[in-house]
Amino acid sequence: MSLSFSKGLTRRRLLAAAGCAGLPLRAGAATRFAPIAEEDLLVGFGHTSPVNDGGWTQMHDKAIRALKDHFPRMRSLYVESIPYSADATRIFRQFVAEGAQMVISTSDYGDFIKDVANQAPDVGFLECDGNNVTGNLGWYYITHWYASYVIGIAAARLSRNGRLGYIASFPTTSVIASANATLLGARSVNPEATMRVISINSWFDPQAAASAGAALIDSGCDFLCGIMDDPGYLRVAQERGVWAAMWNTDMRQFGPDAYVSSVMLDFVAYYRQTIEARIAGRWRPAGTFLTLGHGVDRDAWGARVPLAIQREADAARDRMLAGWSPFTGPIKDSKGQVRVPAGQTMTDMEIFHWNWQVEGVSGLV
Amino acid sequence: MSRRTRLAVVPARRIMIGRALALCAVAVVLAIVLVLLGLPLGMVCGLVLKSTFGTVFGLENLALYMTPLLMTGAAVWLALRAGLWNIGAEGQFLAGATAAAAVGLFAPLPAPVALPVAMLASLVAGGAWSAVPAAGRAWLGVSEIITTLLLNFIATYLVYYLVTGPWADHVTDAQVSSQRMMLALPSVYSVVHWGGPVALALVVALGALLKRSRFGYELSLCGSNPDSARYAGIRVAPRLFTALVASGALAGLGGMMEVLGTVHRLQGGLAHGYGYLGIVVALLARQSAYALIPAAFLMAVILNTGIVLQTLQVSASSVLAITGLLVFAVAVSDELAAYVRLETKS
Repeated sequence: MSLSFSKGLTRRRLLAAAGCAGLPLRAGAATRFAPIAEEDLLVGFGHTSPVNDGGWTQMHDKAIRALKDHFPRMRSLYVESIPYSADATRIFRQFVAEGAQMVISTSDYGDFIKDVANQAPDVGFLECDGNNVTGNLGWYYITHWYASYVIGIAAARLSRNGRLGYIASFPTTSVIASANATLLGARSVNPEATMRVISINSWFDPQAAASAGAALIDSGCDFLCGIMDDPGYLRVAQERGVWAAMWNTDMRQFGPDAYVSSVMLDFVAYYRQTIEARIAGRWRPAGTFLTLGHGVDRDAWGARVPLAIQREADAARDRMLAGWSPFTGPIKDSKGQVRVPAGQTMTDMEIFHWNWQVEGVSGLV
Repeated sequence: MSRRTRLAVVPARRIMIGRALALCAVAVVLAIVLVLLGLPLGMVCGLVLKSTFGTVFGLENLALYMTPLLMTGAAVWLALRAGLWNIGAEGQFLAGATAAAAVGLFAPLPAPVALPVAMLASLVAGGAWSAVPAAGRAWLGVSEIITTLLLNFIATYLVYYLVTGPWADHVTDAQVSSQRMMLALPSVYSVVHWGGPVALALVVALGALLKRSRFGYELSLCGSNPDSARYAGIRVAPRLFTALVASGALAGLGGMMEVLGTVHRLQGGLAHGYGYLGIVVALLARQSAYALIPAAFLMAVILNTGIVLQTLQVSASSVLAITGLLVFAVAVSDELAAYVRLETKS
């Protein structure tokens, strides 16, 4: 309670600092993001990993490159490997200083981007995996949990002992949602399935991801999944003869026998629409989910995944596309307490803010 | 005929000229690298100068970079006066930041009380973090270089543990960080906080203290010649202990300024290498505490240049390379400046 109060205070103070209060903000936003000529538009992109990381950042970069075809006269800047430190603030400020009218961070930089947005009210900011919507800052994210659930079904069918290993970055809510969704998918066909998690404190550290993968296999897991930018642990799975599901893109070349599928990302359409809207003066800060089949999906199944398993998992995917949500109670947390009562379905926002691990997951929170 | 000889004490003017040449050499090497990378040199220079000195954002960045650099620079410099290498300013910085964050997060005090408490806590934590290496060095002769360095890793992982475990922010999903603290250093202008002026004042006070006080004299005697210090009746071990603990306390205070002034959350990447860059700042400053100020300024300019270069797709590691090159060139020029030509009549 006290927290939400203090948050409100900050926001009010920020609005005051921006020179507007309450209602006039919306009127201000309309003129603030006025139409702009394509050749005058400068967009700054900030990435958490190198653009050739083979995964998360590469998928964003691919979509950014595709923008060049649609908006050949638009100029763009990017910085890769931005640390989660005050230097992130400096880099976003530098985008503004160089004249960017739009700044897009392809990862969650929290206060580091919000502080800059508050100081540059005329610049539009977008944060992937973000949480804030202010007068000039919005967020976008993929509802990856549906794809993870589908992959989880295949995981339970492929694993001999039902022990899944998960290589996590940090125990943040999107990681928790990913791990939970995968295990819930697995438990839908094998209620005994469990998941052990190792966090490596990085999104891109192929060496640490490989070590974590090997440690999980040593502890008895025969199916690896996770949320890494790179294919590090897929190589380990290939060498050790276990299965692996990945994130971001098709990574089968790094472990053709082990590869099951991937949470496949596609930001091309979203970035195009965003830039179109900004040029036309229609862009407004908001929170946007890219949904299953529209920005996120499972990748084509791996060569060694039996057809029957593919069909079973895809049947769940078809139901989700038709509107069904598997995130329906009863769902228990890892202490055995029912957190989502029977008959209640979690909204995407609730899943996005998932901060407890489901029953069967250990080592994450 | 001419011979060269090495001066025992080098005049400051010779050092200054040598360093100016060293800076030029670094600039030339940098220019060559930029040209080889295919970047238009004029545009890059213009952008760096404009972004660093020509915009409010740039000047604010310089101030925010200088503050922790002054503190860690002063910390390393103070230990060097006593002939000690404090490689652990990074860890002491984190210890101080952690203590300040504990006050900011959990102490239900009004800001006018909480800020001095946080300041005191950071001084104590930073000092405590260097106390074990200090005692080991002073009374057991254990190399402080190794012990202070290794404690950096412990401090780093302690912070990671806190911010992903008990102090983790589960409210806004900020990565590897605690919740944002409401307790903050007051602002001087925009994002520039009072840590900067305080750091400047501390550096000046430190210079005066070491130059004019008996403690300062004894410390430099312990540093330059412990045997003669002992002969003069100075108890060396307590002096060394005090110097290294005070050094840690300064670094710890720097951590408090960073966490309550600039970052507002305890988080993994907080120390940002400032502890190690403090070594560079102290080396550049040599014997003079006042010289810490231009040294920290130069380092801040280099760090800000790194930010600008990154928007031109030059790797962030380039900053480390530039820093390394600078230290190397300065070390060489300082050494060369000591050599004079002796003119002898034939």
